[in-house]
This record gives sequence, structure tokens and C-alpha cells, in this order.
Amino acid sequence: MLNPASLSLDQAPPISIPFRFFITAPLFGLAAGLLLVIYGPSLFLTRWSPMTLGLTHLLTLGMLAMVMCGALLQMLPVIAGSPVPAVVAVGTVSHLLITAGTGLLVVAFMTGNATANLLALIMLGSGIGLFFIVIAIALWRVKTVTHTITAMRVALAAFLITLLFGLLLASGFLSSVGFGHIAQLVNVHLGWGVLGWIGLLLIGLSYQVVPMFQVTPEYPERMRRFLAPGLFTLLLVWSVLMLAAAFNLIGSVVPVLIMFLLMPGFIFYAVITLRLQRQRKRRVPDITMQFWRIGMLAILSGAAIWGFGRLFSALATGPQFDLLLGVVLIVGAGLSVVNGMLYKIVPFLSWFHLQNRQLSLMCMTVQVPNMKEFITDKSSRLQFKVYLVSLVLLLAAVIKPAWFAHIAGIVFMFSNLLLLKNLSMAMIRYRKTNQALLAYVVDSEVK
Amino acid sequence: MEIKLDVSMLEPCEPLERTLEAVQQLTPGDYLHVLHRREPHLLYPLLEKTGCAWRCIEQQADQYAIYIWRENDHLAAQAAAAHFLN
Repeated sequence: MLNPASLSLDQAPPISIPFRFFITAPLFGLAAGLLLVIYGPSLFLTRWSPMTLGLTHLLTLGMLAMVMCGALLQMLPVIAGSPVPAVVAVGTVSHLLITAGTGLLVVAFMTGNATANLLALIMLGSGIGLFFIVIAIALWRVKTVTHTITAMRVALAAFLITLLFGLLLASGFLSSVGFGHIAQLVNVHLGWGVLGWIGLLLIGLSYQVVPMFQVTPEYPERMRRFLAPGLFTLLLVWSVLMLAAAFNLIGSVVPVLIMFLLMPGFIFYAVITLRLQRQRKRRVPDITMQFWRIGMLAILSGAAIWGFGRLFSALATGPQFDLLLGVVLIVGAGLSVVNGMLYKIVPFLSWFHLQNRQLSLMCMTVQVPNMKEFITDKSSRLQFKVYLVSLVLLLAAVIKPAWFAHIAGIVFMFSNLLLLKNLSMAMIRYRKTNQALLAYVVDSEVK
Repeated sequence: MEIKLDVSMLEPCEPLERTLEAVQQLTPGDYLHVLHRREPHLLYPLLEKTGCAWRCIEQQADQYAIYIWRENDHLAAQAAAAHFLN
């Protein structure tokens, strides 16, 4: 539930703050596609190759975290009635630091350049650190703590844990002291990033976004109350057990057992979301919902692949197993949902800011476009189809890299180019209407 | 006179758009009775700007009635209040 007492658009950041995060995501997508086009099959040899790690971070930091950060800066004042302190300065600086830091990190992975690595660590550490502090303050100040806020809090903690493990791994400190269990720590970093930061935030945002934008019934009350904190607790237990296993204090099978408790939580979330979408009150075609449906099916597929891999370990011995899981969860689940969400958030924000300005000026002669006019169904449908083909090709590239890796890169680039075009169109339309409204003020003053 | 508007099956931003359109059409003595599936918090700052007052009643978990009238229209305010006073 929103907090009506303190709800005000004046507390929300100017639209340029979330927009800059959103528009940066497809640019990193283009870079990821270009990497696939240039290096092709060599990116699908093993998840441990520096190039593959670079590609992974282009997607996770450059696309997923980028959109999530922009959305959080915008949504916190609106859904929690809690403004983010110094939002313009922090939004501007953290966007620059995260963007530059991600670029440098990928360069460092690909070239092994120590200076790029050090700069990336400083920029990402300070950029995400700064973001964490202001969002934590805003979340701390929330008066009415809803289930979405609880999920946001645990997701933000997960983001910090992901960052800390990432910084520790990239600093080279562990190898300098002879710590030989890097792989386990990478898995903990990955677990917190994918299941914690992205997974828990997605769950929390769904409680608001799915019923509101997709006109579905609400998520069940018990699920909203317990799922995100429960999964966060299990992730904590899993991490401790992973570290204990790394030091041979317990068998390596023990943390896997905790994962068997975690996975049903995500399966449950995906099944409930699909069920709510089936109960939609208004059955009109909706691209965001189709993106989300792919995302939910990817969560279910990811859980099934992981489960089979653990139960029948012979299946999981090759490097392709982890790569397949990565494509399914990061691209299939994460990117699908984020891409779909952009098609609601960007037009809605554009419409709402303009509507607010129009009413403030009492300028009824300038028509504010409706949501569908910012990004047309035709343009988003085309991008969805191209995106879907790129996802299928990426999955095929895991199995047959030599055949599909390059073409997957080309189609993925095309998909991001279309996304960039669609978002740019919305922003241009916003700017034009805004200028017309501002021109009205100037004209009125002259008269 | 009551003007009824059911926006409960519409997706954003249509409920806000339709409500704001209907508000512009209100004549003296008229008030708007909007049926919505969620409490429309985002509508409130926009209503303030149009010089309207409102009252939201939660009828069920997914059913809200929002009564809207022009701030200076006492007749409409009285007629709307009959729905939520007592």
C-alpha cells in the first residue's frame, strides 16, 4: 500500500535521472552483442574465461543493475512515500561511476590490465556504495513498511553483499594470501547477485507492478509476507555453509541441500505470477506480460536444469551446464523481465510527469500523449520477437557455439538497437510535449 | 448529481486519464463516484492541482470507491458526503 500522507511527485527525482539509467542499459546490450559478434564461440568455452566474465558483467551490471537502480531511485518516493536524499546529485554521480566502472571492469577482464581493474573497483565500489547509502536511508525512513519495502530492504542488502564479494575477488587479495577456494566465493558472489539482488527485488517489485500494470488479482498475503525474508535468510545460511565447505569443515553437499530449499521459493513465485496472469481481468494483448511470461518460464526452466544437474551429476560435469544455467537465468529470466518492465515504466513516467505539469500550468491546449503513444504496440512487439529469437539463439550457442554464437550476437545487437530506438522515441515525445507546455508558460507571460 | 465511472478493469494510465477527463466535465452540484480495484494514490496530487476534494472508501480488498467534487461546490460536497458519513 502506498503512503498517501507523504505521496507527492515533488519528492520524485526529475525524469532525466531514471531515464539516463534506462537508456544506458541497451547501450551495454549493444556492447554485449558486439562482443559475441567479434569473439563468438570462444565466449562459450567455460564460465571461467575472462572474456565470458566480461560478457556476464555487461549483462548483469550494465543492463540488469542499471535498470534496477534507475527504477529504485524513481519508485521509492512514489511507492514508499520516502524521498531519496540528494537524489539528483547521487543519481548523476552513481550513474556515471557505475557506467564507467562497468566499462572498465569489462576491459580489465578482457585485457588483464591492472590499472583498469583498480579503477573499475574504485568506481564500482564508490558508485554502488553511494547508491546503497542513499537508498538505505530512504528505506530506513519509510513509515509504513509494506511487503514490497521489506523485499527492497533485503534485496539492497544482497546488492551490498554481492558488491563486497565482487570487490574481494577482483582485488587479488585472496590469491596474494594463498586462499585457494576462489570458485566457492565466486559462486557466493553469483548467488547473491542473481538470486539475492535481482531475484528478491524482482519479487518485491512484482507485488506492486503485476497487479497494477497487468490488471491481475493481488499476490497471496502470506507469500508477500514471508517469501522474500525467507529466501534472504536461506541465502545467508547457504553462504555460511559454502564458506564452511570451502574450509573443509563440512561436506560440499550441505550447502547444496539449502539450495534445494531456496529453489522451491523461486518456483513458487514464478508459478503464482503465471497463475495471476492467467486470471487477468482484462484480456488484451500486452507485450510486458509476454516478456514476463518468458521470464517466469525461464525461472522454472533454470530451477529444473539446476535440479537435474544436482540429482544426476553426470549431466552437470561439462562447462556447458553452467553456461546454459547462466543464459537461462540472466538473459531468459532477468533481461526478459527488465526489458518488459521498461515498456511500462518509461511511458507511465513520461505520461505522469507531463500530466502533472499540464495540470500545474492549467494548460489544456497542449495534448499529453497517452501511454500507448509514447511507445507503440507495433514497435514493442517487433522488439519482443527479435529479443525472443536472440534468446533462442543464445541457448543454441551454448550447445553449438561454432554455429550460433556469432548470429546470436547479431540478433542480440538488433534487439538492443530496437529497444534503444523505442526508449529514445518515448523520450523525444516526452521532450516535445514538455517543450510545448513550457512554451505555453512563456507565451502566457508575454501576453 | 452522481456521475459514476468504473475504471476497475483498466490498466494504467487509463484510470487516471478517464477520471481527470470526467473531473473536467463536472457541472455545479455534480460529484464523481469512481470505482477502482486499487487506491489511486497517484491521482491525489493531480486532483489537488485541479482544485478538487476527494474521499476514498475501501469497500473490499480489491474494491475502492472514490468520491470527487470541486472544492468550492458545497452542494456536490454534501451530496457526496451522504455516501461516507455515518
